[in-house]
Amino acid sequence: MKLPVNLLIGAVLVALVIGAAALSLVWTPQDFTVMNVRNKFAAPDTIHWLGTDQLGRDLASQLMAGARNSMAVALAAVLLGGSIGTALGLLAAAIGGWVEDLVMRIADIGFAFPALLFAIMLAAVFGPSLTNAVLAIAFINIPVFARVARAAANQVWTREYVAAARAAGLDRFAISRDHILPNIAAPVIVQATIEFAVAILAEAALSYLGLGAQPPSPTWGRMLSEAQTLMYQAPQLAIYPGLCIVAAVMGFGLLGDGLRDVTDPRLVRER
Amino acid sequence: MFELDRFSVAFGSATALRQASLTIRPGDRLGVVGESGSGKTMLALSLMGMAPEAAQVSGRLLIDGKDMSAATEADWQRLRARKVAMIFQEPMSALNPLRRVGDTVADPLRIHLGMDRAAARAQALDLFREVGIPDPEARLRQFPHEMSGGQRQRVLIALALACDPALLIADEPTTALDANVKLRITDLLVRLAEQRGMALLFISHDLASVARATQDIMVMYGGDIVERGPTAEVLHDPAHPYTRGLLGARPDPAPQQRDAAGRRPRLPTIPGTVPALHALAAGCRFSGRCPVERPDCATVKPAMRAFGTRSAACHALEVPA
Repeated sequence: MKLPVNLLIGAVLVALVIGAAALSLVWTPQDFTVMNVRNKFAAPDTIHWLGTDQLGRDLASQLMAGARNSMAVALAAVLLGGSIGTALGLLAAAIGGWVEDLVMRIADIGFAFPALLFAIMLAAVFGPSLTNAVLAIAFINIPVFARVARAAANQVWTREYVAAARAAGLDRFAISRDHILPNIAAPVIVQATIEFAVAILAEAALSYLGLGAQPPSPTWGRMLSEAQTLMYQAPQLAIYPGLCIVAAVMGFGLLGDGLRDVTDPRLVRER
Repeated sequence: MFELDRFSVAFGSATALRQASLTIRPGDRLGVVGESGSGKTMLALSLMGMAPEAAQVSGRLLIDGKDMSAATEADWQRLRARKVAMIFQEPMSALNPLRRVGDTVADPLRIHLGMDRAAARAQALDLFREVGIPDPEARLRQFPHEMSGGQRQRVLIALALACDPALLIADEPTTALDANVKLRITDLLVRLAEQRGMALLFISHDLASVARATQDIMVMYGGDIVERGPTAEVLHDPAHPYTRGLLGARPDPAPQQRDAAGRRPRLPTIPGTVPALHALAAGCRFSGRCPVERPDCATVKPAMRAFGTRSAACHALEVPA
């Protein structure tokens, strides 16, 4: 089977970002918290691979630690929001009637707000912290997953094996857990990959505004905002974190699209 | 014991099942035949409490004397698998492609009989042996796509038998199977029903399977029961014109005489097609296609009239006094 190009490019980018994040847990080229003002704005050399920032901290090490922060926030937020949203979607499909209508209308309200703005608003209201950033991004993911899960689940509910499970005396919740959930896993995982990209962008935006992880833990968003005032003096301080954000968002976006292409038979036939 | 009393299922003006009355006693093996859209499947689903939510149901269904008209979904869940179980037409689509078949068969055991995982697995193994699945231990761990159609249908039979139901409904259990597998599955159902004293409702449009499996037969057309009686008598000497048409439409395997132009005779058919449910005549549903139709057939519903051990609903029927 020939894998689509977007899947391959996405997988490579994602592997790079995750690899850097995982490596930073045990090793970074330098200690990114060590300041050395005498060596500020250093040019790249064998010690400081990408040079140093305005306080003489190693840029490459900060970017790796920033990747770790990005991945952790996105993973926690998508897992949390995805689980709640998928559970709500399964529930809506299992019960139907007014419960389904209620859940989906509330999800529609969630869709009416621009997700990023909404996350910024939540983080601003509840105060700047890593936990609140995770919760805010998780929250905007709930309606997305509720909609995807419910649409897929409604399709599975019409299958004959669901009728057979009902005939065997299973209730709606047992059917949802044992029969519906495994069969909607593919679209939910595809959606999770795409939402991972959205979450990385949201985390970057929140920490750019100072609403994400607090210093000294480095984040791409805050590196970007701190570099803003130094744009003419040291543009590389803004360019590198910006490139990291682009690579991570694009990587997960392409990976998600590619996964959809290989798991959704309708799309494959159209190509 | 299952009793239907003038039981009807309708979707707006479309009547899928009209005034059906019937009794199924322990050990009965009853066949139901008729074309697609004759109400066979609606009858089966009604006995499971699984008629679509949009359906308007009237008349009574009694299970062991208890009126089910006010039964909730939770009441039905307790009865399904234990009182009445069902196997479905298409063995591929009736098994979850992502679950091991052993887990699927263990489900009702754990839910209804409160067995733990190990006990349910042991019981599933026994059931696999009982329905004749070779190498049952390995099969328990397999996925549906790893099995043949006949094996999958045996898995579904094991699933239906799990909680020892009083009535097993088999909705076209052999339609999707090869001819020789068909016979073996039919014989298996008969043997299981006899051994367990279980009633069997065998739904099919395959008259040979019904003849092999059942003692009594019920012919349905357009939501009506049009004829019933002992299977051998009805198939040997059909009373209702629809039953006669159905029997006449079977291909004859014997060599056929060719006519002067060297052509074989055409296979006899019933003229016309089954009308849409909402377009059916108010009287006899078969009017318009019937070779012995009378003027009032389309407007007056013929009553079921008994003769000997049999009965049929037809105005043209000559009932011996």
